[in-house]
Amino acid sequence: MPMGHTATAQAGSGGLTATEHRLANGLRVVLSEDHLTPVAAVCLWYDVGSRHEVKGRTGLAHLFEHLMFQGSAQVKGNGHFELVQGAGGSLNGTTSFERTNYFETMPAHQLELALWLEADRMGSLLAALDDESMENQRDVVKNERRQRYDNVPYGTAFEKLTALVYPEGHPYHHTPIGSMADLDAATLEDARAFFRTYYAPNNAVLSVVGDIDPEQTLAWVEKYFGSIASHDGKPAPRDGSLPDVIGEQLREVVEEEVPARALMAAYRLPQDGTRACDAADLALTVLGGGESSRLYNRLVRRDRTAVAAGFGLLRLAGAPSLGWLDVKTSGDVEVPVIEAAIDEELARFAEEGPTAEEMERAQAQLEREWLDRLGTVAGRADELCRFAVLFGDPQLALTAVQRVLEVTPEEVREIAQARLRPDNRAVLVYEPLAPEHVEDVEGTEDPESAATVEADDNEEAAK
Amino acid sequence: MTELATMDFHPRPTAGEAKPWAFPAPERATLDNGLTVLHCHRPGQRLVAVEVLLDAPLDAEPAGLDGVATIMARAFSEGTDKHSAEEFAAELERCGATLDAHADHPGVRLSLEVPVSRLSKGLGLVADALRAPAFADSEVERLVRNRLDEIPHELANPSRRAAKELSRQLFPATARMSRPRQGTAETVEAIDAAAVRAFYERHVRPATATAVVVGDLTGVDLTALLGDTLGAWTGSAAQPRPVPPVTADDTGRVVIVDRPGAVQTQLLIGRIGPDRHDRVWPAQVLGTYCLGGTLTSRLDRVLREEKGYTYGVRAFGQVLRSTPDGSGAAMLAISGSVDTPNTGPALDDLWKVLRTLAEEGLTDAERDVAVQNLVGVAPLKYETAAAVAGTLADQVEQHLPDDYQATLYQQLAATGTVEATAAVVNAFPVDRLVTVLVGDAATIKEPVEALGIGEVTVVAAE
Repeated sequence: MPMGHTATAQAGSGGLTATEHRLANGLRVVLSEDHLTPVAAVCLWYDVGSRHEVKGRTGLAHLFEHLMFQGSAQVKGNGHFELVQGAGGSLNGTTSFERTNYFETMPAHQLELALWLEADRMGSLLAALDDESMENQRDVVKNERRQRYDNVPYGTAFEKLTALVYPEGHPYHHTPIGSMADLDAATLEDARAFFRTYYAPNNAVLSVVGDIDPEQTLAWVEKYFGSIASHDGKPAPRDGSLPDVIGEQLREVVEEEVPARALMAAYRLPQDGTRACDAADLALTVLGGGESSRLYNRLVRRDRTAVAAGFGLLRLAGAPSLGWLDVKTSGDVEVPVIEAAIDEELARFAEEGPTAEEMERAQAQLEREWLDRLGTVAGRADELCRFAVLFGDPQLALTAVQRVLEVTPEEVREIAQARLRPDNRAVLVYEPLAPEHVEDVEGTEDPESAATVEADDNEEAAK
Repeated sequence: MTELATMDFHPRPTAGEAKPWAFPAPERATLDNGLTVLHCHRPGQRLVAVEVLLDAPLDAEPAGLDGVATIMARAFSEGTDKHSAEEFAAELERCGATLDAHADHPGVRLSLEVPVSRLSKGLGLVADALRAPAFADSEVERLVRNRLDEIPHELANPSRRAAKELSRQLFPATARMSRPRQGTAETVEAIDAAAVRAFYERHVRPATATAVVVGDLTGVDLTALLGDTLGAWTGSAAQPRPVPPVTADDTGRVVIVDRPGAVQTQLLIGRIGPDRHDRVWPAQVLGTYCLGGTLTSRLDRVLREEKGYTYGVRAFGQVLRSTPDGSGAAMLAISGSVDTPNTGPALDDLWKVLRTLAEEGLTDAERDVAVQNLVGVAPLKYETAAAVAGTLADQVEQHLPDDYQATLYQQLAATGTVEATAAVVNAFPVDRLVTVLVGDAATIKEPVEALGIGEVTVVAAE
């Protein structure tokens, strides 16, 4: 079982270490000790996401994620939630294009319970899954879709941009939330087949981080997960590769009841896990991250044509990543004015590249974001799983920030010149309609946030 | 069993031995300029959190200038005597910091997060902002225009719109609490740099401010660091200011904010209750959690997990403003969204849940799980410096002792089922709740009227 990496901190890892192990059934296990606080995070990534869904069944991976909280052989009904919360833990699950994750953060002395619960549903979900859960969670997920996408202004923008950037038939053409029609069409048998295909120990990575005894933890993992049978029926995901650039500017104008004109765009960028992707991250940060970025200074501070302007990066490993521009106009400013200013800024940046000061700022911001991610046991557990599932090596999580700091200004300029250009983007323009002309109102949501099983907690001392 | 599982099953494990954990106790000091400082060392937290509280509450805003506290808060990061607005933003980001500032009923709050390696630089920038803000005409004018542009976005957001309407319904029109925290288009338009500076001069001074610093402070000479930064800020002594009492009209009624064609109805059902000084608070926290703290609480057990009407409905208590004598108020509310056709049935079920709770009370098992969760999650909830700093700052802002949160955990553990039941039933009496529904009035009005939960009126979404 052990294929023990030694727990020696690598350069640039901030002193954090992780060890890797593999059970006979193929379950990969990553452990990382940190005894500062008596808490332990359990994180389980299944290598399945919306990219594995087939035509007519969009949203199935996420609907299935909900069903994972509806009980298994030894856990009744909502027992998973009840037992974790009753033990003083917190938990959730989320679904994205490339993976489905489940996590529990527990007081350290309750760690074993979380492992038992995760193993029970990995090995025996179908013993409990029934029509009643399926019908109920179908309604819950449809209401999740309404709440987060359909009932808020600009809520479906990300879905529209994704559909433009990744062509019809591409595994990333649709987003994890899926369509109402497909959610309606999903059957109990679809859910069963999905579980049998993708929920196997050899298609998952388990990480445990925090105030743990690694030997004891590994013994528990072996005890609870060790007897779950592996199987290899998983079809390879459809190929997500695409040409580096779209080759033309795609454009869609949406006339909807929204409060202001908006200009959004999505650019195809290098895949996650590459140095070029880190360079693109820095380019987007210099151009549109925070309130000292070029676009913010130009549009919000100087031209005063926008109320908000920024870039975001959705890192993807199995398809080109997506650079997302979001500008809400000020007053009655017209979209072409904004578009011209953006193109001017992008062209200048492609020509000159970032200044030394801009590089320093962008790297400092990304470094802080990493500190933030790795500052909690749950964040660290999630990143270890991410690098293990997507890139085969959890250790890469601990040195990710170092790689961002090594990128040179010239690499940032090159990637901007190659990718942040008009013939590599899909543009989405919102033109407001007066209310009386509309039948349906649609809704915004952080494009990077995946679909989750539970709304945010609103508990004691929440401000 | 529909499918045979092939794994070996083991009995559910029991817990190991709990390790002690306590909410951190801060150390207090006062700088020569009168600034109160709380600090707390959290090993391993390399992202330091700094909260600065200013005694500049919304009710201090001059008549007709609602929003001036918000514009001032935002203008703190738009330039100082050393840096222009663009330079200030650049300098902050250069040290990998984020700085947020917002104005609320108790006062203005600045929140800085910065890697400990650049704490001195980050604190220096915040100190400059407080000591010598530029408040340049052109920057304030831009912030005002920006704020005006934000208002339509907020009104179009169902949950923001609901919150605005509930405040308008609950509080008398003369009370600041009845009006939007960040002002209306009319009041914001009237704000200029002179108004911002006047508000600053009147209400911002170190003697009435508190800074909270939390993080891994190993090797940091905090006294020297604070002396060089926030210690350089000067100001006059404090003038005591009376705090207006909070009253609210919670006559049971329903207000529909019409949003034709909406696919969901946003619910916000609320009234006010006492602040944390009241002895009932721990029991109310416990009871409110049992009612609507999570998806296994009473509301979601029916509305979500049985009926599928919603992605989630939550009940909560949130302090609006507190006073040293405990005469403050908290908002007690239930919020969530339900699909349009099921709005009537969902509200019917919600009221049934409340009535059943009043008639039958909580069970001991419910109470036990709630205590175990609320107390048990503390170490994970307070893992980051920002979470600890936020709660310490809340305590100061609400005039609570520094050990309030630590004591609250003991009180929660000592609260029984009967007390928790009484507290939550008193907090959410079925005939004293103001219900705001943001949704399609043409579809939902009739079924809601049929429920008999109060007179129904419809207002335009604007």
